[in-house]
Amino acid sequence: MRVMRRIALAAALTAMTAGAATAATRIDFFFPVPVDGALAKEMQNLVARFNQENPDIEVTAAYTGTYDETDIKTRAAIKAGKPPAVALMSANFITQYHIDDLVEAFDPLVRAEGKAPEEFMDGFWPALVGNARVDGGIYGVPFQNSTPLLYYNVDAFKEAGLDPDRPPVTWADWLEDARKLTRREGDKTTRYGIMLPGTYDILGWTMSALTLSNGGQYYNPDWGGEIYYDKPSTVGALTFVDDLVHKFKVMPEGTIQTPAMNNAFFGGQVAMIVSSTGSLSFIRQNMKVPFKVAFIPRNVRNAVPIGGASLIIPKGNSKERQEAAWKLVKWLTSPTVSGGWSRFTGYFAPVKAAYELPEMKDFIDKNPDAKVALEQLAFAKPWFATYNTVAVRKALEDEVQAMLSGKKTPAEAAKAAQANADALLKPYVDATALNLPK
Amino acid sequence: MRIAFPPTSRRALPLLAVACLCGLALVWSTPLWWMLVACVRTIPYGSTQAASLVPDLHPTAEHFVDAFAQGDFARWYLNTLIVTLGILMVQLVTITLAGYAFARMEFRGRNLLFYLFLLQLTLAPPILIVPNTLMIVRLGLYDSLPGVMAPYFASAFGVFLMRQTFKTIPRDFEEAAILDGANFAQMIRLVLVPLARPGLIAFSIVSLTSHWNEFLWPLMVTDSPDKMVLTVGLTSFVRSAEQAADWGLVAAATLLVAGPLLIAFALFQRQFVNSFLFTGIK
Repeated sequence: MRVMRRIALAAALTAMTAGAATAATRIDFFFPVPVDGALAKEMQNLVARFNQENPDIEVTAAYTGTYDETDIKTRAAIKAGKPPAVALMSANFITQYHIDDLVEAFDPLVRAEGKAPEEFMDGFWPALVGNARVDGGIYGVPFQNSTPLLYYNVDAFKEAGLDPDRPPVTWADWLEDARKLTRREGDKTTRYGIMLPGTYDILGWTMSALTLSNGGQYYNPDWGGEIYYDKPSTVGALTFVDDLVHKFKVMPEGTIQTPAMNNAFFGGQVAMIVSSTGSLSFIRQNMKVPFKVAFIPRNVRNAVPIGGASLIIPKGNSKERQEAAWKLVKWLTSPTVSGGWSRFTGYFAPVKAAYELPEMKDFIDKNPDAKVALEQLAFAKPWFATYNTVAVRKALEDEVQAMLSGKKTPAEAAKAAQANADALLKPYVDATALNLPK
Repeated sequence: MRIAFPPTSRRALPLLAVACLCGLALVWSTPLWWMLVACVRTIPYGSTQAASLVPDLHPTAEHFVDAFAQGDFARWYLNTLIVTLGILMVQLVTITLAGYAFARMEFRGRNLLFYLFLLQLTLAPPILIVPNTLMIVRLGLYDSLPGVMAPYFASAFGVFLMRQTFKTIPRDFEEAAILDGANFAQMIRLVLVPLARPGLIAFSIVSLTSHWNEFLWPLMVTDSPDKMVLTVGLTSFVRSAEQAADWGLVAAATLLVAGPLLIAFALFQRQFVNSFLFTGIK
């Protein structure tokens, strides 16, 4: 009896080890699609290519909805003990993942290859480092990134007597152009000068772009407990937007849904919009009349936040899975793959070396709008990230929406947003900066 | 389609009420009409034509071609059918038995237990995502269709509905069945279930539509593309937070999701209406 059991055990063990030697490491990869459905398919193609090139790893790519849904799913999966090996996460969520201790640092993986973490990060555009490194460790590897851009209709510029080669540079130019571009017939406005997107997430992003252009910092980039909603730089930005709507009437009142804004731009019902560089390919493909892009105009300085997503390795993965994940991350951020994804989507490639490739140089030559997006990168800053980022972001967005519909003044909106955000940040502030020696 | 009103009361129905009902029907059916018109029309981005309700003279199938080229519809329909029907089968058994227990059986803490059951209705489902995922992983059902179904096997709403339904059935039926020599299982199956059919049908409609349309939970608990249900599959290419809406594709996709339910409702309309009249749900 005992002998039999031993033989069975030995047989089972041999079978198991043999299995491990031949079977590929199976890992899963969560990816959201915030921009365009065609990207989901392209991502599956990319992963299929990776699987072919790496027979020892088998990646399952799981579509996980929007950035917010991907966050919920990833957190639930980690808590349930089934973390994905890699997740593509909105770049400004990474601080929170680190605070909650849910994400692995990349530093040991980088060092294991004989590289210094600094050297690894040097391969990426400097503006991206702020959101990837938290408390000195690398917790995210940038994959697809964007900045806000000003898109404008060339025909509308000509019709209004403006030079389409000289887009607005300062807020004063911007307002003046918008007033000339706004076309009214009686009480009805048939073309608005400007539209800013009002949908959650991109609204907060746009407001931070205007605040940065107004000389502000928006948040404390070194510590997740502070946000500057009631500072002059933010109040100034809010007032500027409110004036566009209520004083100068060059922008429609109320919350503008992003798809509706893009539709209005295609249809010529608005002359200038602020949208992500990530929409560049989409707009290029669908805009029937000529358009151009330009930097976001400045009041004090040229500055925009980055957006987009980074790859993370959640905690709770075995050593073997981590190494397979690291291979996938390196492959996805290699210059060739990164450049290809950039050309397909319109996001810029986070890896500097991607732009040294001949196919990329060719692409930039043929698409001057992509070049503008690339040049604006020199003025890019990290994306705001705090404790409880999403709720803190919504605290401002709700107030801005109230302001846009004429229910609040900019000063009231800023004050209320600050109070709400402070309440949301309090637990973290109490646990860190106000946690003093007793 | 036959009209349920007898001729006399129909004549007596004031004209005004008919006009009101027609107005309501118009409001209700306009989006459906738009969907039918838009799904076969070429709509350039930014065109105001997108909102038009007048059908085009040159219908196009491009949106459906697009949709089918991008999605694995056979798989998605099959998965959705398995999930919705699977949930319903189990639910019909559990709610009948639990409903009977709460309606007829005497045991200590019955009311307390029943109210605890009802409390579940007040919870917003997203709160349960983490604990449910945890349980599904422990059961080894993560990334499987049974994992999508499991949390719904018991339904507080269904138990409540069946309890109320059983309470409206006079006890005499059960007593007669027992006297005739039926055992407990036979009594439920042959006497009570047929009498409670309207309640079961009403519940089935609610259950089928809500699980057919469900998005968040299947997204949370499945990873593999071959486990995708219809709603998740469609959003993977139709949804576009940052982009302009491709209205033709949106309309075609909506029709593909809603179509089967609409057809089923049209086919079984009379039974549905009767069951609602019987249960008093309107």
